Amino acid sequence: MSEAIGAAPVRRFALDADGRRVAFAVLAAAALFAVGDLVHPGFAGAASIEAVALNASFVGLVAAGQCFVVLVGGIDLSIPWVLNGAAILLVTASLGQNARAGFAVALTLGMGALVGFVNGFGIAVLAVPAVVMTLAMNGVMEGLTLGLSGGLTCGACASYAPPVVRAAVNGGFLGLPAALWVWLFIIVAVTFVLGFTGFGRKTYAIGNNALASRLAGVNVRAITILLYMLSGMFSALAGIMLVGFGGQASLGMGTPFLFQSVAAVVIGGLDILGGRGNYVGVAAGSMSLMALISVLLAVDMPEYGRSILYGVVILLLLLAYGRNRAAD
Amino acid sequence: MSASLAAPARLTRVRRYLLHNLGLNLALALLVVVVALYCGVYFAQQGRFPGNFELTSTVDNTMPLVLAAIAQTLVVLTRGIDLSIGGMMDLTNALAAAHMKAGIGSMLGWSALILAVGAGLGLVNGLLVAYGRLQPILVTLATLSIFQGLAIRVLPDPGGAIPQAYTDALVNTSAPWALVYVVALALLWLGFRRSALGVALFAVGNDERAARANGIDVIRTKLAAYMMGGVFAALAGLVLAATATSGDATTGDGFTLRSVVAVVLGGVSLFGGRGSAIGAMAGAFITMMIVNVLFFTAIDPLYQSFFEGLFLVVVVVLGAVIGRRFRRG
Repeated sequence: MSEAIGAAPVRRFALDADGRRVAFAVLAAAALFAVGDLVHPGFAGAASIEAVALNASFVGLVAAGQCFVVLVGGIDLSIPWVLNGAAILLVTASLGQNARAGFAVALTLGMGALVGFVNGFGIAVLAVPAVVMTLAMNGVMEGLTLGLSGGLTCGACASYAPPVVRAAVNGGFLGLPAALWVWLFIIVAVTFVLGFTGFGRKTYAIGNNALASRLAGVNVRAITILLYMLSGMFSALAGIMLVGFGGQASLGMGTPFLFQSVAAVVIGGLDILGGRGNYVGVAAGSMSLMALISVLLAVDMPEYGRSILYGVVILLLLLAYGRNRAAD
Repeated sequence: MSASLAAPARLTRVRRYLLHNLGLNLALALLVVVVALYCGVYFAQQGRFPGNFELTSTVDNTMPLVLAAIAQTLVVLTRGIDLSIGGMMDLTNALAAAHMKAGIGSMLGWSALILAVGAGLGLVNGLLVAYGRLQPILVTLATLSIFQGLAIRVLPDPGGAIPQAYTDALVNTSAPWALVYVVALALLWLGFRRSALGVALFAVGNDERAARANGIDVIRTKLAAYMMGGVFAALAGLVLAATATSGDATTGDGFTLRSVVAVVLGGVSLFGGRGSAIGAMAGAFITMMIVNVLFFTAIDPLYQSFFEGLFLVVVVVLGAVIGRRFRRG
């Protein structure tokens, strides 16, 4: 956590541990496909892996935002209704017309950024605990989404995502669905930002020790606000992709993504206290999670069994590598 | 500032008391404000003040959240958080609805068994947190999923039945008898806070290392906190079943987040070691009063969570500002 330790050896050790955790997450995904192939032959085939990856891409986008804030020891509980609000905002602002698609996408991403800004401002400037601030913002967004849409799912108001957006998500490119290309691009971009820019280094520094970072001249407030803005934008982007994928928005569509994004981040080897882990692990974590869900669906596991097994698997992974150092 | 210098010693002592229990005092003050607000909007709408019926139904409806908030307080004081409270309420609620029969033996037996189940579920959380050295937020997120699954296994469809006598005993709807429970719980808390375990709980939450250095068994204290949390969550599940007179394996889900809100409004610090279950109980009543106020101000119910969220942030920010002023002034 905040133990003062020499810089150089810790960094080497941390990278090793990080590498191990990422390897764990990738191995977990591979093992799940192998097990799935045993119980349901063909599960590890190309078509099936592609389908799992497509589902994982939506979780992966949300988890990218969650990853940014968890790296500074925060958490974003406002994801469900930011995502849902974004999906509804996109279809209502675009009216399903191509001509308005660009405007609607920009507006939706801007809304995500604005919510993230409010979250970050409350947490970094007003010193509200992240759990409280983002929980409250989730309520605010829920109320606004329900109130402004009149509580209607958009099936009733017959609004669809503009054809351009749907084509952009569902279309193929070089034999892969476009959504997967978007995710690949995000994986590369987030890894680059976290690993090779000053912004990324400052993010890790804040996660390891916010006070020391501030004393070292890092603008902790600005970076924290920026990280929450990124989380809001990634939730909004996931909302856009989901509504482009399915064509319509529905109320409650964001709810599963909170649990799944936290699970992906944890399976991916991030330390929930901050400062440790990277997005490659989180992406692998999203794949593992979706592979697990698909295996359980493939063997016709009833709902209660799936719910129990999610919990058990996450506990096992936590016990494998999520433990705090022993108390001294 | 100069006034406080000249002020008599007695005033300073009063201020010191207020300062030491700032979270609790702010929560109680806020409760008075929202109750007054509620009476105001009620009077404006109905032309009379709320009476016995309103008091009884409000207290009865708030009881499950009061108990869940106490469960959350016990865990939060150790610098943890319990996201599985909703799942524990689901499971205990489902068990009661699926198995409890009329007859004093069945009612008492199943109540005792269900409370023991709650202690067991809490113990699982506690073991994973204390011995497994895992983060409470992640452990309880995982066990939440497990408990929810078990609850659906016990009671696949909403239904079952709670004996009428059980409802009458736990939730008396003719008069605000539940207030007796509230007072009893508050007295229980005052006693507990001064007990060895109560002191250990605060010590562990304030500084785990210092607590260990002073001979407190940190692991046992945490296990006790999570177990007691489980018992109170089970109690909340039972009261919820008694109020609804039937069971539902998902009815407890909302209580995880609402218990966190109640605890925060009640002035319990999420960073551990500071707070009072009495404050958390006040927090539970504040959340309920806000819902009532929104109802009577004829605000579109679709906007309800918007105002609840806004209220939460404003209260937390104002509380911090007042606290800073108080300390400086």
